[in-house]
Amino acid sequence: MSAPEVFQLSLGPLTGIAFSPDRSQVCVCPNSNEAQIYTRNGDSWDLTDTLAEHDKLITAIAWGPNTNRIVTCSQDRNAYVWTHTEQGWKPALVILKINRAATSVKWSPSENKFAVGSGSRVIAICHFDEENNWWTAKQIKKPLRSTVLSLDWHPNNYLLAAGTADGKTYVYSGYIKGLEAKPEATIWGDRLPTGQLLAEFKSPNGGWVHDVAFSPSGDALAFVAHDSSLTIIYASGPNEPPAAHIVVKLPSLPFTNLTWTSESSIVAAGHDCQPILFTGSSSGWAISHSLDDPSSTSKPLTPTATGMRSGGGGVGRLGNNEAFNMFKAADSKGQRGLPGTGAATTSSGLTQVGSDGMLLTIHQNTITHVEAYEWNQNGEVSKIFTAGRDGRLVVWPVTGGKGGLTGRMAGLQV
Amino acid sequence: MSEYAFRKINIDALEEDVLLPSDLYDPDPRGPDGVLSDAQRKAGEVRNLVSRGDIPGALNAILSEPPYGDGVDEAKDLTTSSLLLILNSTRASEIPTILKSLGQEQQDHLMAYIYKGMAAIGQGSDVSGSVLLNWHAQLTEVAGVGCIVRVMADRRTL
Amino acid sequence: MSNTLRPYLNAVRATLTAALTLENFSSQVVERHNKPEVEVRTSPEVLLKPLIVSRNESERVLIEPSVNSIRLSISIKQADEIEKILCHKFTRFMMMRAEGFVILRRKPLPGYDISFLITNFHSESMLKHKLVDFIIQFMEDVDKEISEMKLSLNARARIVAESYLSTFA
Repeated sequence: MSAPEVFQLSLGPLTGIAFSPDRSQVCVCPNSNEAQIYTRNGDSWDLTDTLAEHDKLITAIAWGPNTNRIVTCSQDRNAYVWTHTEQGWKPALVILKINRAATSVKWSPSENKFAVGSGSRVIAICHFDEENNWWTAKQIKKPLRSTVLSLDWHPNNYLLAAGTADGKTYVYSGYIKGLEAKPEATIWGDRLPTGQLLAEFKSPNGGWVHDVAFSPSGDALAFVAHDSSLTIIYASGPNEPPAAHIVVKLPSLPFTNLTWTSESSIVAAGHDCQPILFTGSSSGWAISHSLDDPSSTSKPLTPTATGMRSGGGGVGRLGNNEAFNMFKAADSKGQRGLPGTGAATTSSGLTQVGSDGMLLTIHQNTITHVEAYEWNQNGEVSKIFTAGRDGRLVVWPVTGGKGGLTGRMAGLQV
Repeated sequence: MSEYAFRKINIDALEEDVLLPSDLYDPDPRGPDGVLSDAQRKAGEVRNLVSRGDIPGALNAILSEPPYGDGVDEAKDLTTSSLLLILNSTRASEIPTILKSLGQEQQDHLMAYIYKGMAAIGQGSDVSGSVLLNWHAQLTEVAGVGCIVRVMADRRTL
Repeated sequence: MSNTLRPYLNAVRATLTAALTLENFSSQVVERHNKPEVEVRTSPEVLLKPLIVSRNESERVLIEPSVNSIRLSISIKQADEIEKILCHKFTRFMMMRAEGFVILRRKPLPGYDISFLITNFHSESMLKHKLVDFIIQFMEDVDKEISEMKLSLNARARIVAESYLSTFA
């Protein structure tokens, strides 16, 4: 097992991130109206291109693995599809017909269309209109009554899941007539005209649904909500109640993102600053372990050790690199030069703070993206990447769905 | 000035698919009367259990299906006062074991009542802040900050 | 720090940590705007339940969370008239210089002495746990500060009185 790879791409948050198909390039938005493309150069990333067309914050980026096209969407209510030509990346405006911020974007599995969620209570399903030579959208409106925060496509290229700010998760048909063949009946529903609502679920305590994801087979749907919960739903058949509706409530802060690593494991991460692996099946789900285990570091982690800052400010495991200095600056800015006596944080569910005042996790602020990075021969995810508000990009090895102590030991870096 | 009165009208509220606070949770299926009679029955039950010294049993009873939402103020007051009675009559050393015996749902509800109790301090409540703060600290230890997040997120006001 | 203050601050710390789970959220009411939802209060679904942590009648903290901002209001202990005046002067001094304190609100909520407004932009540019530390540190120090000011005020009053009355001795 290799250790996680850590890259500092920006000093501020990364609001959108997507890897190129061959993983040699990454497109990120450093909390601004421009997307930057970095090319990998050994252990570092070099800035090669800047995609500047939006005039407000870019909220999401998606990079089609087969067609090598990038789509960006922004709070300026627009989305652009970028195609690589010999003169660089060429933008094409998408006719979204929305009047509030676009919040999320996802390519469908076969990349003939993509979906954009927005604050104007619609989902736009966009496809290329050959006749007019532009990208145009079909809208799903009912019964959305709040901002769409997240989207995910079913592997069959027709179904679309959406999570909203009023604590609901919907499953729609994203079929577009005239563009593709008529869909077969699925386990979620059999009548599939465009925008047909197939299923609707609520978050357990009414929290905002931050992210939704279909399992690799498409038979299960998972979502994380702002009530520190992870919900997994197994479909049983068209117009029937789900076969299993599993809710895992957590002692920690809420997750903002999740991704399936296999049919029986999920990695979720969020305000807790560490990715957590869950394992289970239709009979139940539970936390397996954290991929970023603070106890695997040499530091003692007894509650009395937390928050008791040493006067000299010992250097953390990050050493005196650039990132460390950056956070030291952020620290003094946040602290306004107050002497830190700091009360000990012993409450469970809180991320531990080291003796230098830094979190013991690799990410120092909320993780906003978790996605698959590499697959093994069985089609299971072997590596994931995370990006967060601290401007870091981390590639993590996933220690398998073994769970328990064995899985944990395998992940230990000694 | 009257000709400008129309400027104060919140036109967004007149939109057809506007989201109202009441749309964010399902009303209690028992109805206001059912909730009240349930609360009265439970309050009596709890008084019995407390006098016999069965604190975990009393907490479990009161924290299962508590009244929530609008129009059930009487039931809410009754439940809150009997809950605060339990919290007051528990010895500090017993708190951790009692908390561990509660289900996750009940822990969430207990956290909500602790906050409600703290909000009422200084408005004729007879529970001291230190008792509630002690319960809060112990409950956070057992159920984590996720429990507090759920209290914030839940629209069903207890 | 006195032992009785500790549980109070720990409760505030836990509540504040739970509330500081913010994200960038563009207004769904006004086009191309991004405002603190806890202040504009236009969309009920993005506002969360406000929570109060209190130690006694006079000392309490109100935390109002929302999707992209939280408002934290503190009611500071004021035992007598002198403390009331000192507290008023002290908070007024700070709030008049609110831009220098980044997260300070220019006006407190009614019923409270001082308010902070933390938005997602603050939690992005500063570390979350440091923001929490700062608020807790502030709450610890403000009591101390006011007690000290009261002591020095009393001492000064005594010296003035002594030197004034010494002419009559």
